[in-house]
Amino acid sequence: MSPDAVAILGFVALFVLMLLRVPVGMAMGLVGVVGYSYLVGPGPALKLVGQTSMRTVTDYTFGVIPMFMLMGALVSVSGVSRELFKAANSMIGHLRGGLGVATVVACGGFAAICGSSVATAATFSAVAYPEMRRFNYPQSFSTGVIAAGGTLGAILPPSTVLAVYAILTQQDIGKLFMAGIVPGILAMAMYVLTIAIIVKLRPDWLPGGEVKPWSERFKDLRNVWAPLVLFVFVIGGLYGGFFTPTEAGGVGASGAFILGLVRRKLDGPKIREALLSATRTAAAVFTVLIGALLFGYFLTITQSPQKLTEFLTGLGIGRYGVLALIMVMYLVLGCLMDAMAMIILTVPIIFPVIVHLGFDPIWFGVIIVMTVELGLIHPPVGMNVFVIKSVVKDVSFTTIFKGVLPFIVTDIVRLVILIAFPVIALWLPTRMG
Amino acid sequence: MAARSASYMDRAINTIEWLAAIFVGIVALNIFVAVVLRKFFDTSIPDAYDFGRMLLGILIFWGIAATSYRGGHITVDLVWTAAGPRMKRVIDVFATLVLLFVVAVQTAMLFDKVRGTYVDNVLTYDMNIPTWPFYAVAWFGDVCAVLLIAIRTYRLIFHPEQLEEIHPEQKADE
Amino acid sequence: QDKPVQLKLSSWVPAQHPLNPALQAWADDIKKASNGSITAILFPSEQLGKAFDHYDMARDGIADFSYVNPGYQPGRFPVMAGASLPFLFANGKEGSAAIDDWYRNYAAKEMKDVKYCFAFVHDPGTFHSRKKITLPTDIKGMKVRPATSTVGQLITSLGGTNVQASAPESRDMLERGVADAITFPWGSIGLFGIDKVVKYHMDAPLYVTPFVWVMNKGKYDAMSAGQKKVIDDHCTSEWAQKVAGPWADFEFGGRAKIAAQSGHEVYKLTPEQLDAWRKAAAPSEAQWAESVKKVGEDPKAVMDALKGSLTKYKSAL
Ligand code: NA
Ligand code: NA
Repeated sequence: MSPDAVAILGFVALFVLMLLRVPVGMAMGLVGVVGYSYLVGPGPALKLVGQTSMRTVTDYTFGVIPMFMLMGALVSVSGVSRELFKAANSMIGHLRGGLGVATVVACGGFAAICGSSVATAATFSAVAYPEMRRFNYPQSFSTGVIAAGGTLGAILPPSTVLAVYAILTQQDIGKLFMAGIVPGILAMAMYVLTIAIIVKLRPDWLPGGEVKPWSERFKDLRNVWAPLVLFVFVIGGLYGGFFTPTEAGGVGASGAFILGLVRRKLDGPKIREALLSATRTAAAVFTVLIGALLFGYFLTITQSPQKLTEFLTGLGIGRYGVLALIMVMYLVLGCLMDAMAMIILTVPIIFPVIVHLGFDPIWFGVIIVMTVELGLIHPPVGMNVFVIKSVVKDVSFTTIFKGVLPFIVTDIVRLVILIAFPVIALWLPTRMG
Repeated sequence: MAARSASYMDRAINTIEWLAAIFVGIVALNIFVAVVLRKFFDTSIPDAYDFGRMLLGILIFWGIAATSYRGGHITVDLVWTAAGPRMKRVIDVFATLVLLFVVAVQTAMLFDKVRGTYVDNVLTYDMNIPTWPFYAVAWFGDVCAVLLIAIRTYRLIFHPEQLEEIHPEQKADE
Repeated sequence: QDKPVQLKLSSWVPAQHPLNPALQAWADDIKKASNGSITAILFPSEQLGKAFDHYDMARDGIADFSYVNPGYQPGRFPVMAGASLPFLFANGKEGSAAIDDWYRNYAAKEMKDVKYCFAFVHDPGTFHSRKKITLPTDIKGMKVRPATSTVGQLITSLGGTNVQASAPESRDMLERGVADAITFPWGSIGLFGIDKVVKYHMDAPLYVTPFVWVMNKGKYDAMSAGQKKVIDDHCTSEWAQKVAGPWADFEFGGRAKIAAQSGHEVYKLTPEQLDAWRKAAAPSEAQWAESVKKVGEDPKAVMDALKGSLTKYKSAL
């Protein structure tokens, strides 16, 4: 068999195994090693397993992943999301559609200290959903706004997916985080605008919430200091150059722990829960990383990434044509896989094409993360939608997808804006020097 | 009898999970102390970098043990979700058997790597301490993973009611 | 008629690094000499595996030839570590021939799992810092990103702190004050943008990093006698110098570039200052001697042989 045929067969086998629910990382590792052993020999292939596994888990720069996960987990169990939502709600919840806006704003605030979009969606399903339902917000809108708001978790820094993209492409994690800030704020603003348009079109659909006296509003707002301090400390420290990204994660996790203790929001079981959840998610992500490296070595031997670059650039559809093609491919993959798996599987293959076409790697990081995050909310499957469904039991997938539809349109508009004006993403990181 | 051995297994699983969780905390502490020492005392823990990355290795392999047992890996659930209960079980058993095979091979090859680190006398950067004991502890996490996946496979086939699956919201992060 | 052989060459430096075209030229010459029966594909940028694993990759057949930094695994190659001691090499090109001629006698024992092809060094590196460093006592209290474990030990013994970071991370480390100084060869300073964040450059050949280019044994053994001869003819001190040449030129040229930039101070050391540095390095050498004794070599004989070779090839300080 020619290397090309082996590569194609490898992809087919990979998709079959994944559809049979073999963990994504294990499937990539298995196919990678079998393919490698066919092309190079079983001895080197087996040695590659031990070497790659050990090297990946003991790579210091990868430490950034579990550290930001731990920070997010500690913040989650400290009840910060509830405080954020309460503050946003008492400020604007009384306006028509205000509870939806409050949810978006609180999601953004939570996203500024938590790196995961699924965690953001999960926590606000528990916090914001009951409140919206109490004021007769439709089920579809309530779940839709949470699914969309959740994606802010991965767009605004810190972001696990952005960190993984940075590691895979050897870009500066700090710069990628900075690149996410303005587009993240843009995303929030556009979600708010979307809600405003919905209110305009269907004035009675999203009623106003409770009006609270100003004394209470200020009291609720005061509780926001802790996440704010943590964000300024970690992201400011990264921007100002006090920490490396891995250190920022470790110090952020320690900061979240100390703040939780000082504010009496943490106890034994909660600490245990946070530690366990960080361990589990980190282990799951590293499994995919190891598998993707093994699969990547196999693809390198077949030289298919080079051939793909040649093929795509030889199509004669221009660089934006190729970019559009790549993004459509991501949207299709988004029907199957979650964001992390998609990034890890495809970036090593797609990235050389992007560099070859002369696109900015930092900008592309933001674009690609937004695109895969879109996969988390678009039908037929989406991780954020699953998560909401598991918390809010009495809602159907169709209802959630219906509610999320206007936000999907917004996301696509936002992507077009960012492709037309890369400066939105690149302005802050270039100022960093 | 079955109940007794089940609770024994559960206790072992909890212990393994706890050990992994503690290592996450230690990695964060190591970084925190290193940063504080550098910023305020102009000094460093010797080998903080090497310790940090080797602790990371330990945490991940022990974490993989816990994650594998709970079914917490990142999976593509499209077909599974659409399948009927019988088909679901077939898919689950197949996926777990593949998982068991892959992690068993990985564990064997990691042993080879640990042995190599010992034989080749690889030392830490600052203090020149042998690195193989750290690698051995990490490797032992993968051994636990094989054991736990074996237990998972057994339970999945014979006592599916004893399996405690992870909920989607606890699943890996995107 | 020789059976056609295709070799996978693995280098972990990025594609645009001057070492890669030199390795490609080496491979092209092999192709010519073997009448096309030995071809090669060069994989740069860690495409086949991480930098730290390159020795094992050649041993295990993951790559057929690999570019190894033995210093990445302190303790594993004690004899070779001698070449990374401070103030030995005056230049990179001649130094590459010198280190190869010297290490050839130890390679069969110390790197027994692979077929040794040749050893080489880069052009000597030095301190580039935010605060001026002239004497060993200046290191006290400084945070330094060392190039090798040996330089790291020197820093520690002088009361400094080591900061570990990959080469691309180094600029950030310096800019953010995580590190005050770095030891780097001259050309790479510009390549990684470090010239934007440091001001002072000590003009003294502080250290070199030794590298080896090694081959998978099985691949070599499976070749025909004629092919083996072609490989052997390309694993020589001359080729070591030829392959190291473009990189050495690049690093060497960096000094003039930095000196020409405004806002940079490139300063020479007086003989007394240089002497103080040599004295400061003595404990590192003693520590190295101990590690060599453990593997049954005589450190004095090893070091004298290295110095002799350096003199022979006009690379001694
Ligand atoms: Na975030
Ligand atoms: Na989707």
